[in-house]
Amino acid sequence: MHLKTVYVTVGTTKFDALIKAVASEAALEALQSRECRKLILQHGNSEPVPADVSRRISQQYGIQLEQYTFRPNIEDIKASDLIIGHAGAGTCMDILTNGKAGLIVVNDELMDNHQQELATQLASEQYLYYCKPSQLAVQLATLDFASLRAYESASENMLKFVNALDELMANRWSHSANK
Amino acid sequence: MSTQEAAYPTYVILGSGGHTAEMCKITKALLHRRDSDEYQPIRFIAANNDENSDRQLQAALGHSGAESIFRVPRSRSVGQSWLSSVFTILYALIWSCWLVWRDRPQLVLCNGPGTCVPYCYAAYMWRLLGRLPPKSRIVFVESFCRVETLSLSGRLLLPIVDMFVVHWPGLANRYENRPNLRYFGRLF
Repeated sequence: MHLKTVYVTVGTTKFDALIKAVASEAALEALQSRECRKLILQHGNSEPVPADVSRRISQQYGIQLEQYTFRPNIEDIKASDLIIGHAGAGTCMDILTNGKAGLIVVNDELMDNHQQELATQLASEQYLYYCKPSQLAVQLATLDFASLRAYESASENMLKFVNALDELMANRWSHSANK
Repeated sequence: MSTQEAAYPTYVILGSGGHTAEMCKITKALLHRRDSDEYQPIRFIAANNDENSDRQLQAALGHSGAESIFRVPRSRSVGQSWLSSVFTILYALIWSCWLVWRDRPQLVLCNGPGTCVPYCYAAYMWRLLGRLPPKSRIVFVESFCRVETLSLSGRLLLPIVDMFVVHWPGLANRYENRPNLRYFGRLF
């Protein structure tokens, strides 16, 4: 699967390890081999890639690097072939609801980050992939993004919930005297 | 008496960002049932510094959803000191007690923002004291991103709510001895 446009997002977090991993030689080589032409980096509160490095990436790998702190990102999401992000619930849902290939990179310096629970669960159900910053380059080179499952909203489960709620409220509406 | 009872509202508690997005989907599903009138009137409750909920609600429900949002004081802002938190939480608690006493909601439906905790406790208390009908209900849907552990709101509310919904098997297994805990698979 070709990854022409790759979108990297860290949300509001400071996740320097992810930015460094993406801009590493090994990761860029992997991206180049998958015909990546454009890398969009939403770095939030993390350190951006220095300008000279950015120029070198363009010359050496033919990958155009675009960086920004924050902006409405729905355009970037829709334009991308792969989303690399931190384990935020928002990022996970952006990947799933837009039908994008996703690779969640876990900030292993954060202890007890409950948001990782969701990424782990979704990865175990093959809706997205999941790795540590140190594994990013290898994963980018080897993962089969085409084999990820498409996510569908679970309307039949929602219906079960609504029915259970109706049942719970049924006594209330019948105005029956007994409890 | 019964006409008066029919006017008891459903309280839907909104939070910020992800919580509101999830609650919009739940409310939409509720209103799509055949005779959704039974949940009417729906009163949306949102913290007074939460401006996004209006927009999200409008986008999800269209029509006049945002008009029925009721603004309440926030329990605690992120980063607020603990000392000042004591006062703002107390203030939010008094507000919730007053509103629930006045409106007598037949159903309090919420999904995890801190704002929802005092409303659930207020409804529980007023039901015990007879101000709310004994058949009024409190329903909590845990946040979608909670897979293995409950949120703080969830832990505070699990003992008192009538139905507590989780999205993932890990939590369902962990709390399977709780009769009020329900698992239908992921709702979204």
